[in-house]
Amino acid sequence: MYKIVRKKELNPTVTLMEIEAPLIAKKAEPGQFIIFRAKEDSERVPLTIADYDREKGTVTIIFQIVGGATMELNTLNEGESLHDFVGPLGKPSETEGLKKVAVVGGGVGCAIAYPIAKKLHNLGCEVHSIVGFRNKDLVILEDEFKAASDKLCMMTDDGSYGTKGLVTNALEELINEGNEYDEVIAIGPVIMMKFVSMLTKKYNIKTIVSMNPIMIDGTGMCGGCRLTVGGETKFACVDGPDFDGHLVDFDEAMHRGTMYRDFESHAREESCNLLNKEVK
Amino acid sequence: MAVQRNMDPKKCPMPVQDPMVRRNNFDEVALGYTYEMAVNEAKRCLNCKHKPCTTGCPVQIDIPAFIERVANEDMEGAYQIIAKSSSLPAVCGRVCPQEKQCESKCVRGIKGESVGIGRLERFVADWHREHCKDAPKMPEQNGHKVAIIGAGPSGLTAAGDLAKLGYKVTVYEALHLAGGVLVYGIPEFRLPKIIVQKEIDNLKAIGVDVETNMVIGKVLTIDELFEMGNEAVYIGSGAGLPRFMNIPGESLKGVYSANEYLTRINLMKAYKEGSKTPIKHSKKVAVVGGGNVAMDAARSAKRMGAEEVYIVYRRGMEELPARKEEVEHAEEEGIIFKTLTNPVEVLGNEAGEVCGMKCVEMELGEPDASGRRRPIVKEGSEFVLDVDTMIMSIGTSPNPLIRSTTPGLETNSRGCIVTDGENGLTTREGVYAGGDAVTGAATVILAMGAGKAAANAIDEYIKNKK
Repeated sequence: MYKIVRKKELNPTVTLMEIEAPLIAKKAEPGQFIIFRAKEDSERVPLTIADYDREKGTVTIIFQIVGGATMELNTLNEGESLHDFVGPLGKPSETEGLKKVAVVGGGVGCAIAYPIAKKLHNLGCEVHSIVGFRNKDLVILEDEFKAASDKLCMMTDDGSYGTKGLVTNALEELINEGNEYDEVIAIGPVIMMKFVSMLTKKYNIKTIVSMNPIMIDGTGMCGGCRLTVGGETKFACVDGPDFDGHLVDFDEAMHRGTMYRDFESHAREESCNLLNKEVK
Repeated sequence: MAVQRNMDPKKCPMPVQDPMVRRNNFDEVALGYTYEMAVNEAKRCLNCKHKPCTTGCPVQIDIPAFIERVANEDMEGAYQIIAKSSSLPAVCGRVCPQEKQCESKCVRGIKGESVGIGRLERFVADWHREHCKDAPKMPEQNGHKVAIIGAGPSGLTAAGDLAKLGYKVTVYEALHLAGGVLVYGIPEFRLPKIIVQKEIDNLKAIGVDVETNMVIGKVLTIDELFEMGNEAVYIGSGAGLPRFMNIPGESLKGVYSANEYLTRINLMKAYKEGSKTPIKHSKKVAVVGGGNVAMDAARSAKRMGAEEVYIVYRRGMEELPARKEEVEHAEEEGIIFKTLTNPVEVLGNEAGEVCGMKCVEMELGEPDASGRRRPIVKEGSEFVLDVDTMIMSIGTSPNPLIRSTTPGLETNSRGCIVTDGENGLTTREGVYAGGDAVTGAATVILAMGAGKAAANAIDEYIKNKK
């Protein structure tokens, strides 16, 4: 069992949990993920690692409450335990040799972009972070990003905080100002990663995206997480989750992501009824 | 005691659930022999001196000896004989391809049907489970530690054999449940999970530790397993990545690998009312492939409510690699066999969902390297099969997790771990491997045989090291 040592609501739909998992904490690197099951009969759900503390032996996850499984996870409190927690899975993000990087995070994807920004910053790389949210209420990890970045652009869709606009607007502006990036790392909704990749392709800047497809085992057995990258079939769990954004077939990934949408919304409704909560 | 032989040329048929009933449920298809049937069938064994059947058994069970005990109604005695050689008798009795192994060598098979060895093995294992409540005896510890990677049939066999020799064995399993393919792959209707659980409990009772949620190669490396005091490591990590055909449309919604489809149903219990695991409730399903896994996927799809389920296989009925019994059961349940057929494209609608499968007809030409006749496309034979789901069951290629994190572990061009023939020694000292990780996708019993051979080799290795 994997004990929750800290739980914090970052905004009404996003929760942070610090979980006791010493073996995973010892090996985890930015870009890798874990798979959890809240309870014995729960689904297996992959989540990219948001932070880890090797000394304390904890791994931090930040999740958005989107379906039955994450809603169930959110019912657990500090001191309680997750039934299963396995990792670190996938390949770590490559950080070697990078001198100047733009890290682009969208929504809850910022939770995954943050550890990479932090690692790069600690390695002495110049980090420009661009983070985007729908509105002010949904902003997460602002202080953390500030501490890990040489420059931080805060964007909101409605202009209720930071600058009104999309992350791609801010990125293009920075590029046009003459910033030469070794790499752009984009993590967020698939549609955001697609548009960031289209933009950077125009400027010929290498771009890495972190894919989060549907998967079951996470160890290279089920094949559910397959993507088309550069015309080849790749498995996010063992070949990724990081891929070259200029090669990923994003439209296909978006389609595949909706495979169980009806089931999910139904499950969410059921969980809501079960937990006596309002369906949002 | 002399036994009155039963000279019936046919083996006692296995009682089964009616096909029209069972295709709507996940309960076990084969119901097992009754006590009388078992004793009667056992009397068909001639107890011949040269025991050809035993040469067909990958774990070398003393078959005539256990059958003799059954004929004499000493069921516990029969169980003890099997248990000496097999760690998972209730499993083997159900899933071994006996017609290609022990039973293919049976003398009774020359002029009639062979003795129903598999059915008798199953009976004995089930009898023991139901009647013998004594906990297995804890073997005396020899003070040496061994780590096993993967709690599937191969790893569990090696674990059982080593534990019986007194080793402290820890089995590391990547999933949340031990059993490997026995729990994620083979469906409940062919192998009830309670039986697998019971076999694993037996191993735990003789001191085997099973640690789930441990992906070796990620959370711990093989080098770290040695640092933890293990003197040998056995890799039984199984096959891995499902293969696809690389035809257009394989990424459409509604295309599954058999691994994914079966894992959702078996491990994640999508077949149960109220399960939290989503799965497509298909109307028309094509399963591509002709092995046991394909049969399992097709029969599962039927039970999940599909109206039409096809097995699409590029060779003929004769060439189907699946166990004969599985093919027969599938036919009885209404699975439609489209043999000599090969898909060339998966067709999708605007929503990106499967809406058909373009196929070509095949004919058989000259034998290829495998000795089977090579299928050739029939010109102008293209047609569309009306399906909404496609399940790819054309094999797997080995998982890269361990080979990529273990320096000095050699793999071949297909990614399979290279071993020194029989005993499973890899190119790393103290590291042994077997099962699908070495052979590519094969059977439960071959994986068990490899686990058994490696356990012996590990015992020799550690003894000689002293």
